[in-house]
Parts: sequence; C-alpha cells; structure tokens
Amino acid sequence: MKNRYTWRTFSREFIALILAAITLIPLYLLLVVALKPSKDLFTSAAVPPIPPQWGNFATAWENAGEGGLGNAMLSSAIITLGSVAFLVVLGSLCSWVLARRPGRLSNSLYILFLLGIILPFQLSIIPLYVGLRALGLVGTYAGMILLWTGVMMPLAVFLYTGFVRQLPPDYEEAARMDGAGTFRVFLRVVFPLLRPITGTVAILTGLFIWNDFFASLIFLSGTDHQTLPVAIYSFVGEYVTQWNFVFAAVVIALVPIVAFFIVAQRQMIRGFAGGIRG
Amino acid sequence: MASITLANVGKIYRGGNRAVEDLSLDIADGEFMVFVGPSGCGKTTALRMVAGLEDISEGTISIGDRVVNEVDPGKRDIAMVFQNYALYPHMSIFENMAFPLRARRVPKAEVRDKVERTAKLLGLTEFLPRKPRTLSGGQRQRVAMGRAIVREPQAFLMDEPLSNLDAKLRVQMRSEISNLQAELGVTTIYVTHDQVEAMTMGSRIAVMRKGVLQQQGDPQHVYERPVNMFVAAFIGSPGMNFFQACLRSDATGYSLELPGQTVPLPDDVVRERPALAGYVDRDLAVGLRPEHLTVASTGGPTMAGRVIRSEMLGAERLVHVSIEARPVLTDEVVEAAADVDPTTVAALADDSDERQVTLIVRASPSAHVESGAALQVGIVAPQLHFFDLESGDGIVA
Amino acid sequence: MRRVPWLLAIPAVVLMLGLRFVPAIFSGGYAFTDWNGLSLDANPVGFDNFVSIFTSEITRNAVFHTLLFALFLLVFANVFGLGLAMLLHRGLKSRNFLRAVFFLPFALSHLATGYVWQYIFSYTGAFNQFLGAVGLTSWQKTWLADPDWSFYTIVVVLVWQYTGVAMIIYLAGLEGISEELDDAVAVDGASWWLKFRRVTLPLLAPSVTIASTLTLIYGLGAFDQVIALTGGGPVGATETLATLVVKNTFTFGQFGYGSALALLLATIVAVLSITQTSILRWWENRQ
Repeated sequence: MKNRYTWRTFSREFIALILAAITLIPLYLLLVVALKPSKDLFTSAAVPPIPPQWGNFATAWENAGEGGLGNAMLSSAIITLGSVAFLVVLGSLCSWVLARRPGRLSNSLYILFLLGIILPFQLSIIPLYVGLRALGLVGTYAGMILLWTGVMMPLAVFLYTGFVRQLPPDYEEAARMDGAGTFRVFLRVVFPLLRPITGTVAILTGLFIWNDFFASLIFLSGTDHQTLPVAIYSFVGEYVTQWNFVFAAVVIALVPIVAFFIVAQRQMIRGFAGGIRG
Repeated sequence: MASITLANVGKIYRGGNRAVEDLSLDIADGEFMVFVGPSGCGKTTALRMVAGLEDISEGTISIGDRVVNEVDPGKRDIAMVFQNYALYPHMSIFENMAFPLRARRVPKAEVRDKVERTAKLLGLTEFLPRKPRTLSGGQRQRVAMGRAIVREPQAFLMDEPLSNLDAKLRVQMRSEISNLQAELGVTTIYVTHDQVEAMTMGSRIAVMRKGVLQQQGDPQHVYERPVNMFVAAFIGSPGMNFFQACLRSDATGYSLELPGQTVPLPDDVVRERPALAGYVDRDLAVGLRPEHLTVASTGGPTMAGRVIRSEMLGAERLVHVSIEARPVLTDEVVEAAADVDPTTVAALADDSDERQVTLIVRASPSAHVESGAALQVGIVAPQLHFFDLESGDGIVA
Repeated sequence: MRRVPWLLAIPAVVLMLGLRFVPAIFSGGYAFTDWNGLSLDANPVGFDNFVSIFTSEITRNAVFHTLLFALFLLVFANVFGLGLAMLLHRGLKSRNFLRAVFFLPFALSHLATGYVWQYIFSYTGAFNQFLGAVGLTSWQKTWLADPDWSFYTIVVVLVWQYTGVAMIIYLAGLEGISEELDDAVAVDGASWWLKFRRVTLPLLAPSVTIASTLTLIYGLGAFDQVIALTGGGPVGATETLATLVVKNTFTFGQFGYGSALALLLATIVAVLSITQTSILRWWENRQ
C-alpha cells in the first residue's frame, strides 16, 4: 500500500485545485452578475453586489419563456422524464429479445441499432420536422417524447443489450419453471436485475435530452411547451445585454441539473465512462 | 552483488498502524534470505522498503555500503519480481526484458546481447517476439525473472512470485529459482507465506509476525530450535503438536501431569533446559513434532491415547491419536494454524471445551495401527519443546 | 419453455427506424430538390444545392469553420483532458471533488453556459475588465465582434465544456493500469518521459480512441456555443454547418438547401469519425 504523500503529491493537488477554481470562474461570475443591479453590470464584474438583488430572480422567473421559467422547467421535466421512461421500458424489452433470441435476425437488428448510433442526428432533423408537422405534433409534449424516444433508442438498446447478454439466463429459467409468464418474468426477474444499466441509460439519455437546444429550438420555439434552453434563448433575445436578468434566468434554469449533479455525480460520471467504453 | 543491511527498520502508516517494527537483519552478499510469515506480518512491507516502493519510517537500509533510504527505486540497483509478474502487456517479451536496460540508456547492441543471453538461460528464446498474454503462468514467471536478471543488479527482491502457480509448477519453479540464484550468486530476498518454500529455498529464513521479527537463521536450525510457540507452530508441516501439562517434581524425578496420566521425564530433559526447573508445579505448553512421536515403544516415555484414524500418504502414514489433555489455544497457535489451513481453527475451537487433544504422529505405512484401538504413543524425549503459556517463549536455557 | 416473443422488440425497432433511419433517407431526398417546406411541389435540382454550398462564400467558410472547430477541440480537449487525468490520478485527497468539478461544465446546458461566456468576452464584460485591472488595457479587444478572435472564443468555450469528458475517459483508462505495473516501472528506473511514452500512452490507446472520437463528433456538431456567443457572426465568421442548417431551413424556408447542408455535415461526420477511429484502432492494435 503506497503512502507517499510527498511534496510532489501536494503540489499536484495544489495545481489541480487552482485549475478547478479557474474552471469554476464562469459559474462564479454567473452567480454574482445574476444578483447585480442593472447599473453595475459593466463596471466591476467580479465583485459581489451589496445588497444582492434577489428581485432579479423573480423577474426572470416570470418573464423567461412562454409562461415563465416554471412552465419551461415543467416542460423540460415532462419531456425528459417521459422520454427516458419510454426508452427504459421499450429499450430494455427490445434488448431482452435481442439477447435471448440469438440468431441472424437478432444480429442484424443489433448492427442496425449500432448504425443508428453513428448516424448523425443533424441529418434526420428536417424530415423529422416535416413528419411531425404532418402529424400535428410540432410543439407538443407527445411529439417531443416520440422524437426523443426514437432518436435515443439506438443508444439505449446498445447499452442494454451488452448488459443483458452478460446476464445468466438462470434466473429467468427458474422463474419460468415456477410457472411465470413472459410478462411476469420480465417485470419481476429481468428488469430488477437491470438496475445498474438502467441508471446509466437514464443518465446518458436524460442528460442529453434535458440540455438539448438544437431540436428543442426547431420544434418548440415560441410555443407554450418550450424547454429551458429555448426559454433562455428567447429571454436573451428580449433582454439583450441585461445580463443580470439573463443570468438570473440561467441560474434558475441550471438549479435542477446542478442539484441532480451534486447528488448523482458519482453515478453520472461512472455511467458516462462505463457507457462510453461500451 | 552486495550485502543488504536493515538496521532498526520500522514502518508506520498514517493513522498509527505499525507494519514493521525494529527489524534488524544482516544479509550477506550472495545469500538467499527468505522472509516468511502469515499475511499481514510485514514481510512484503519490509521487502518494499528495501525496494524503495515504501518510505522508511524508522531505521536505515543499506545496500552494499550505501544507505539507500532516500534513493529512488530505479537507482538502488535492485531488481524485483512481482506476485502478478507485472509484465508490460503491450510489449513483446523481448521488449519487456529490454525495458530496464533501455531505461538506463544501454546501447542497442548490448541490450540485444544481454536479453538474448538471459532468454537462453531461462529457455525463453522462442518466446521473445510474443506478447505476455500468449504465455502460460509459468512462462510469464520466467519472463519476470528474466527482466530482473538481465539488469545484473546487486540484489533480487521477490514478492511471492510462485503464489499464482499451481502446486506442481510451484515445486518445479522452486528448484529452478534456487538453482538460478546459486548459479548467479546474487543476493536475494524472497518473500513468501509458504513455509515449505521458505525451508527448501532459503539459506537463511526470517520468520515474522505482526511486524516483528520472531527468529532468523538457518532453516534447519529454526525448525529444530524455535524460540517461541509461533515459530514452532508456523514452521513445519504437518505442524507441531501442542498440549498443556503441569510440570511435577518428586523423588523419582520430573514428570508431566496430564488429566488422565502422568508422563515421566528423563533427567536429561531438564538438565539440558535449566530454565525448566523454575516451572515446577506450573502449567506449561508442551510441543512435539509428528516425527518425534512414535506408534511403537522405543524405550522412552509414553502417553496413553486412542487412535482416531490414519492418513496414508504413500511414503508415510499420519496417525491421528486422541489423548486426554488440555489444548493450547493461544493466539500464536491459532494464527499459525489458520495461516496453513483456516478450517483447523474451527476444529481447535471445538477442542477447547473438551480435555482432548489430537496428536499427529508420523509412522511408516506398514505400521500396525487400528482405528479406535488404544495406543501408547512413544515420545522422543530429547526433542521435547516447552513453552511458557503466557509469553509463548520457549523454555530453554 | 416459452421463448421471449419478438413482439416485445417491435416498438423499439419501429421507433428507431421511423425516427432515425427513415428521416435520414428522406433528408437525402430533399437535398436534391428546391423544396421550400410548404408548397406541394418540390423540383429535383440535381446537385445544384451542393454547388451553391461551395460557390457561396458564407457556406464555404462554414465548412471550414466546422472542420476547424472540431480540430481545435480534438487537440486541446484531449491534451488537457489527458493532462488533467494524469494530474488527478493516484493519491490526491480531493480527487472525487476535482473530478466532479472538471466534469460539471459538460453536464450543464451548453447554451446557458455559453451565454455566460458571451458576457465574459463582451467588450464591457469580465475578461476585458480583468485585463484592465491588471494593467493590460492594450490587450482588450472586441473579442466577439472580431472575425478572428470570435472564432477562438468559441474554441475556448468548447474546450471548457468538453475537456471534462476527455478527462474522465482518460482517468478510467489510467485506473486500468495496475499499481503493480507502476511499481515495476519504478524499479526498472524509467524516467517520467520514458514511462509516459512507452508504458502509459500505449496502454491508454483505447481511451485515446474513444475520447478522440467523442470530441471530434461534438466539435463537428457545435451549435449551442455558436448561437450563444456570436449567433454565427460577425458576418458569418463563426458560422458552422449546424447553424446554417437551422438558419436556412427554418428562417429562410429553404428545406431543400438546408437538407443539402445537413447531408454534407452528416457525411463529414461519418467519414471523419470512421477514418479517425480506423486509424486509432490500427495504432491501438500495434501497441
């Protein structure tokens, strides 16, 4: 067991902490500016304002996005959670099939899913718009959830299949012998065993969907159901250079993800590194 | 080639955990010294301190005439063989063995020459272009040795290099390593928890326990004259038999009082162990190795017992005999037993309630021994060992 | 025993095909028309759209910008990411905290944090204020309005956001190198540089492949950051294919032309990532 906390180790730690502080400077500025009165914006950026203008948050909350930030946050939540839910359920089911019914068809489908991951997202976006418009789903929750479920499915299936393949079929066989039907086998035996990878799938896809701006801009801008990034974008459009209000909105918009990050950062990082490695 | 000297070496970890305490050893040039002991006894830590992979908290370590406490591992002119071989997986065998030479900017031609010669010595020539993952465990082990040899260092340090090999291979590699070391004459420190390895390979062994050196010396000497119960229990397989007895003295001489019988002791026994005289009317621990017990009378003192069973081992027979006596269950005995075979600990605990001890006696395969029959176990009196029950120390002089 | 029914896989397959593959094929189709997204007729125009892309200076430059952003991000994110990973690896007490901090920029909305950087680089923003405060007023610039500097500001933001990803991939790779191997290198007496070149880096080859591929794809698709900092300006100096796709299609109503841009971008992404991965896998196997 090595125990050399030498000067070398200490200087490494010191440098790393300095770099970390530098990395966090923008976030520090974000907080500070969010609390500034409008007149101070262009003088001393880094100096915290006294007294802090908590009112900025109220202004941002009410005015950012259609129906305020609360509405945007709700939209983001509904779309993200809805999509993740479908991805988890349908993706795990599909992977279970692919893993438990090996053969040419399974392999071909698996390769298809792999291709789906590689296929660049931007290519599909215009026809997707056209298609969803024809179905009257542009600007709706249902439309976005449908979009994300389809777009992220290859990744979900890929992650799940790798995991299920490594799961010994013994548990399922035992359950079958006990007389359980397919549905029960999946629900009671397989799905609980998939918990680790479900976490990874949820985090990887959820993070992407929550933060997405590209697709959300195209499908939701100007609508009641716009997500947080779109709300910020339109708010910036209205409140140009009123950075204090803009940043107040940004702070509010970032609160959920920061909270989630603090709680789940270990799982998030581990899931990311592990999922990417696959 | 150089001597290695450890002077009052100690290792304390943050948090106060003491892994090695006041270890002093003089290892002569060319010696094969084995550090042996159960897991956690500090032997690996001591080795790593010699290597420079652990900081030395107390004392000094010298290689040759040089105190190396502050010297980097790479500059101590030592080579190490690791438990899991630590071969560079992405390099060929040739590259693996060449790496330490390259690190020292040895000219290419010389590198090639040295690597090829070492490979020849170890029978690895055909493997040179291959990668470690294509080799078997034994072959990888040899490559690890080759990487150490090619440097022609002042000392070899080996950290349980055979523990990942299967039994038969281990036996074969043991002699290979011994022969190699004898041929090259390089000072070697070898760490193992296997006392058989220690006994067969070392020109000297150092038995350690909980960071403290228990005894060091010629293997046979340590075997015959263990200074305390731990060494006595740890060295030797099957282990030494222990039981409690009370030393009595009367007009006829000395004797050992056991619950069901009294075993008379020849006068020589006490004469050669003067300190014994101070233990009259006191309980002590008696130790006898299986080969110093006999199933037939030889004229010496005997104990009454009953045969439980015999294990036939081809060249010899191990007879399990039950006698009425209180077992010795001190930490040392339990620890030493556990290190050899964890399942015996439970058996020892079972014995503690009864006044029954199972002795293991070495006998010839042709001896007439019947399970369940009563037996008078013969004692080779001169080979009796006595230990203080509290301190564990041998009662000798 | 009953087998798992194919039926259960159908929803996922249908969704994937319908929402990823089918649109991609259609996109390929639109790219060769002049469709404006509304009218019922769309005339095939052969390669006209693509010719327009390369004859128009703005779109031609956008292709360069797309490639250059990716290149810069690839190089810097991986170099810094690897450097950080080696800095954090083994023995640091605040390792988990540091790891989380460096990864945080990636987890936050790239658009939102992009706006923070717009503020920082604006003429009256934090960076110029800082330069003024340390006496470097001559260095103050209109970072975002300058055609050259605006490009580099986006690179800075990209690196800030994505280095953490590269770092954790390299950290995971470093963790895969056993401590015993480190010991062996120490005893073998290799210098730091020799160890890095002959042991660490070769053993990190798989991580290099993964991190490089990821940063390349992120770089080629840079959208949020461009919108947040410059909106594509000044005068198209930071426009990328991704931003142009959105602008041309949804602002100017040129669905055909926009699809052509999207197809071009997708082709670049596919070609470059496959090429890069192949090269890196080849290098990986040589180790």
